[in-house]
Amino acid sequence: MTISHPASTTGVSPTLRTKRRGRRLARDFNPMAPTWGVIAIFLVPAIALLVIFRAVPVVISIVGSFFRQNLMGERSFYGLGNYETIFADESFWHSVLTTLKFNLILNPILVCIAFGLALLTFSPTRGIGLFRSALFIPMTFSTSLAAVLWSLILDPNLGPANPILAAIGIGRQPFFLSETQALPTMMAIVVWKSAGYWMIFLLAGLYRIPADIYEAAEIDGANWLQRLRYITIPQMRRPLAFVLVATTSVNFLFFAPIYIITKGGPNGATDMLMFRTYESAFVFINWGRALALSTVLLLIICVFAAIQLRLLGSREGED
Amino acid sequence: MSSSTLAPPSGLTLVARRIALWGLSIAVLLPLLWLVLSSFRAPSEMFFHAGRFAWGLVVPEQLTFENYTSLFKTTNYGRALFNSLFVAVTAMFCGVILNAAAGFAFAVFEFPGRNWLFAFVLAAAMMPFEGIVIPLYLLVDAMGMIDTYPALIVPDLANGFVIFMFRQFFAALPRELYEAARVDGASWGTIFWRVAMPLSFPVVLTGSVMIFLHQFEAFFWPLVAAPSAERTVVQVAIAQTMSMEGTAWGHLFSSMTIASLVALVPFLIFQKYYIRSNVMTGIK
Repeated sequence: MTISHPASTTGVSPTLRTKRRGRRLARDFNPMAPTWGVIAIFLVPAIALLVIFRAVPVVISIVGSFFRQNLMGERSFYGLGNYETIFADESFWHSVLTTLKFNLILNPILVCIAFGLALLTFSPTRGIGLFRSALFIPMTFSTSLAAVLWSLILDPNLGPANPILAAIGIGRQPFFLSETQALPTMMAIVVWKSAGYWMIFLLAGLYRIPADIYEAAEIDGANWLQRLRYITIPQMRRPLAFVLVATTSVNFLFFAPIYIITKGGPNGATDMLMFRTYESAFVFINWGRALALSTVLLLIICVFAAIQLRLLGSREGED
Repeated sequence: MSSSTLAPPSGLTLVARRIALWGLSIAVLLPLLWLVLSSFRAPSEMFFHAGRFAWGLVVPEQLTFENYTSLFKTTNYGRALFNSLFVAVTAMFCGVILNAAAGFAFAVFEFPGRNWLFAFVLAAAMMPFEGIVIPLYLLVDAMGMIDTYPALIVPDLANGFVIFMFRQFFAALPRELYEAARVDGASWGTIFWRVAMPLSFPVVLTGSVMIFLHQFEAFFWPLVAAPSAERTVVQVAIAQTMSMEGTAWGHLFSSMTIASLVALVPFLIFQKYYIRSNVMTGIK
């Protein structure tokens, strides 16, 4: 078992080497085929953890959503009761609507801004790497810290934003205290934090567009806008779609800034599904409803995941 | 070169582009600059400029370390920082080995059910962790692990994304490499540890940074899984400081500056690898 070092084998006579190898081959016929034990040692830790901490919670969520718990903690079968209560609840539909509004407005804007940044930082110029890094850096900030930072900056009385806005003539704003401004301000925080991150994905997409298409278009006299319209955007369809789906599946579960800044307020203006689910579980201790809400969220996530897999899959098939 | 084909040609647009690059970069980084500068602001000056516009809004008149010294003297932040680092570093070391091993098995071994198992890994990678936090809490609670370090570390150790990244890398290495080592009598463990892992150092670095940041920046799970002050992590501690003592801004600034530096430094050092692998896994 001591011939792993290649240099040591060079001194051994050919006959001896053949002999040794022959013995080995006789023992395990195909050296590339590992035993089940070996495969298990490599795979089981990761797979077991994924099963226990990813798959089992999904099952708990679905099964638990058919039960209810009384104040003594006793569980009893409730059938579709939790779902019926949720769907009959007007405030549930309000948070569905808020979540949809947040995502339908935010994600397309986010993709457009990220695309704009990618176009802006695509061609090399002096210090382009530094500019790209600068735009990316907010991403290293956690969502919760971004929420705290911006709630300080935008604090209507103590933050630095309002004096600046007043000085340039826009006037002081209520931001998170206003029913109409709270949600758009949340969106702005997300754009600040993640536009640079998605820009990197779109940059990679831009680099994959073959240069000769542009050269041909240039010879034909196409201007910058025409090239963008007829070459870049059609060629970028898949990366753009990927980023759109990815941002949506991230932002659908938007939670930390709502928990930290508004708690769903003012007057339900930022009441989104993930926060409502958290509240059902840890504030109202209604686990049946929390798990039913969780299951609804998981179903929606499944749809996004399926679309994402399809996008990734079709790319692989193409190459 | 393809890079130049998108560039607007005239000099005027080049100038406009530089202005846009500078303007956007400054606008994006200004809040962070404000944060860092404010962390050195004297408590007496904290809200002095809040009323009207002045340079003092951004630049403190005098610099002091008071916010830092009193942060560690009077609050639980030192403990939270230790917890965060302990959790993130432990998860990083265990996570990289565990996920790399699985990635290696998917790339090199052939066994029945491999594709199904890999599809399961991909599905897990697609599922945002926040989506299962509520049922996960019930599970971890039933295991009696709430408010322990394992509760913070173990549930998110296996990472489908990192497994996928390693699999892609190991599958791209020539098979002869493994075969030669195997014929020379190396065990699969040795091949993985001595041949595959050293070759995959860019993926190891990226995976490490990814897992470290993921754990260090987690908020929702630690919020519910570690409710006591002894197990609290930086992200939760900062959020609580904000809601409990609304005007302790000095402590907020210093604690956030420290927390963001812990995340920023590994990213800046390894950003080339980090960005490349992230993008390759996403787009390719």
